[in-house]
Amino acid sequence: MRAKEIRVLAKRALMIAALAPLALQAARGQSNSPKPSTDAKSTAVGAADDTTKSSGASDAAKTLKVAAEAVGLARWSGVGGQRLPEVDVINTMEFWGSGSSYGSGPSNKPGEPGPAFKTEYHASLGYNPPAMRVEMTRTASGAAPQHTIEVVRDKYAWDESEIGAGLLPGKGTATPAMAAANNRLLQLWLLPYGVIKAAIAAGDKMKASTEKGATVLTFPLTGPLADVTVKATLDAQNQVAKVETRSDNPTLTDLLTEIEYSDYKDHGEIATDVKSPGHIVRKQGGRPVLDLQVKTWDANNPYLVFPVPENVKQAAAH
Amino acid sequence: MATHFRFSRSVATAALLCLLPAAVFAQNNGGPRMDHENTLPPTPTGPTPMAPDGHPDLTGLWNGLADNLLGVPNQMHNVGIEVGTDTTRDIHSGVQIATWPLQNRTRQNNEQNERAATLLRRMGSNRPIYKPQYWQRVKDFDANSNEEDPSNNCMPAGVPRMGVPSYIAQTPNYLVFIYPGQGGLIATATSYRMIPIDGRKHTNLEDLDGTWNGESIGHWEGDTMVVDSIGFNSTSWFDQLGGYFHSENMHVIERLHRDGNTLTWTATVEDPDVLLEPWTTTPRVALLNPDPKAILPESLPCSERDFAHVVTKEHH
Repeated sequence: MRAKEIRVLAKRALMIAALAPLALQAARGQSNSPKPSTDAKSTAVGAADDTTKSSGASDAAKTLKVAAEAVGLARWSGVGGQRLPEVDVINTMEFWGSGSSYGSGPSNKPGEPGPAFKTEYHASLGYNPPAMRVEMTRTASGAAPQHTIEVVRDKYAWDESEIGAGLLPGKGTATPAMAAANNRLLQLWLLPYGVIKAAIAAGDKMKASTEKGATVLTFPLTGPLADVTVKATLDAQNQVAKVETRSDNPTLTDLLTEIEYSDYKDHGEIATDVKSPGHIVRKQGGRPVLDLQVKTWDANNPYLVFPVPENVKQAAAH
Repeated sequence: MATHFRFSRSVATAALLCLLPAAVFAQNNGGPRMDHENTLPPTPTGPTPMAPDGHPDLTGLWNGLADNLLGVPNQMHNVGIEVGTDTTRDIHSGVQIATWPLQNRTRQNNEQNERAATLLRRMGSNRPIYKPQYWQRVKDFDANSNEEDPSNNCMPAGVPRMGVPSYIAQTPNYLVFIYPGQGGLIATATSYRMIPIDGRKHTNLEDLDGTWNGESIGHWEGDTMVVDSIGFNSTSWFDQLGGYFHSENMHVIERLHRDGNTLTWTATVEDPDVLLEPWTTTPRVALLNPDPKAILPESLPCSERDFAHVVTKEHH
């Protein structure tokens, strides 16, 4: 008898549960359209070709929100009917890819890449705190593979002989590399999610405009990269398609970078609705340095940690 | 109707999950914050009642707000993400997180809601630091938690994963903690702990059979109750999410502090076998149920019914 009552209750409950979120959403006046709001779109794709047009602060904020939603960074959940605002859900992520990287040696033609290496690439990263570990295996034609692990966390940068080296006695070597910290942090902030986070952090200094029909975000970075200005161009889906940096500070000219992102989709083994680029091309000084096809991109805030080895802290203190 | 089941990707399960909080709300006035617009800790009000021995009296039904795993707001509070109306902060790192007000949200289907909830629950920065040789194992456990989670199939959550007790009874020599079985994130059977506070010492670790809750002994440090536990099995995970396994040498120190109608709970996990350093949960602030007649309802038997419907690795 009791089991029957439970079944009846469960059946009723299912119906109520299925209907309740619909009723709530309707009551809150939510749009049925999965597309960005009209206001936001007008900033994104409003101008005619061959023109450059700046937008106001309000439009810039809307543009940024659209860009954040386009890659699945700005998210909310109605699970259980909860009513929290939309927030930036991206903290940790990692991705794997393969392709080519290019050395800094001479090339046959100006603007052409240097010597090529077949490259396996694995990056794990986090934005809270800002940190990134890049593991690369590069193989030149006829040569033995070169394996590197480069890490940055906040102001600390170091190279690892193995993942997590230097944290336990006898477990690999962590070699301080403080001079590389800014360049490594820049790689983190120039990923599509870093671009959006940094643009948000720039506040009123972030400007949105349209160039040749495309939305462009221009803003300065902060902290040790404060002299770097980022120009990010969005594609028709409001995803970050191209990022360029410039700086008037001569000590930062080595960092000037141009990156192109394309083929966005959810590349995770576990679906997250976070859109990540499938193709990444990075150039420095106009020459390609990395051309990567992404295999997998885990955006599900995986367990990734970046503890700083004691010897690296000590090196930074001196 | 505080039923128990595993939460999976099936629509039916998602729909059922919507019901749980309503059911719990019916049992008390301080239930899980499913419809709350923030995850801020409650502000304490009222005096802190004192026991005859001069210590705070922790007795009460602490099933309001924090730690109840049924709602995303509770789960975000538990991992230290303070969501306000238009600001969000990670209280562990102090990092401000971009926030957009509730208006103009586009409609989402259940799948989108659940994927977003998964991200929201795990965006906090307060993560235990394992020894490097275990980083991949933690990641694998987490990614495959539909199969690997030791609380699956109605097994206990264990200490400290159970979090804040829903009910505390305090006597001069014992504390009794009750944890009703939970649906939602982890489906567990009802559990209790009888914790001596009479000054006795721990049994030698070698003489203890490892258990889910370990051997717990409490003592007062000022107005804070400190519950010290050893003697665990190595089966459980020690936080609600993340695949955080431990060894039999885990040592857990829980701290419970009452301020008026709030109870702040933290747990520090020491496990030199697998962790690089001790790890402390983000403080969870539970609210006293204001209804003096409130009781914990009977929990229905925990029954696993969802695994047959799980077809992806998507999880909490």
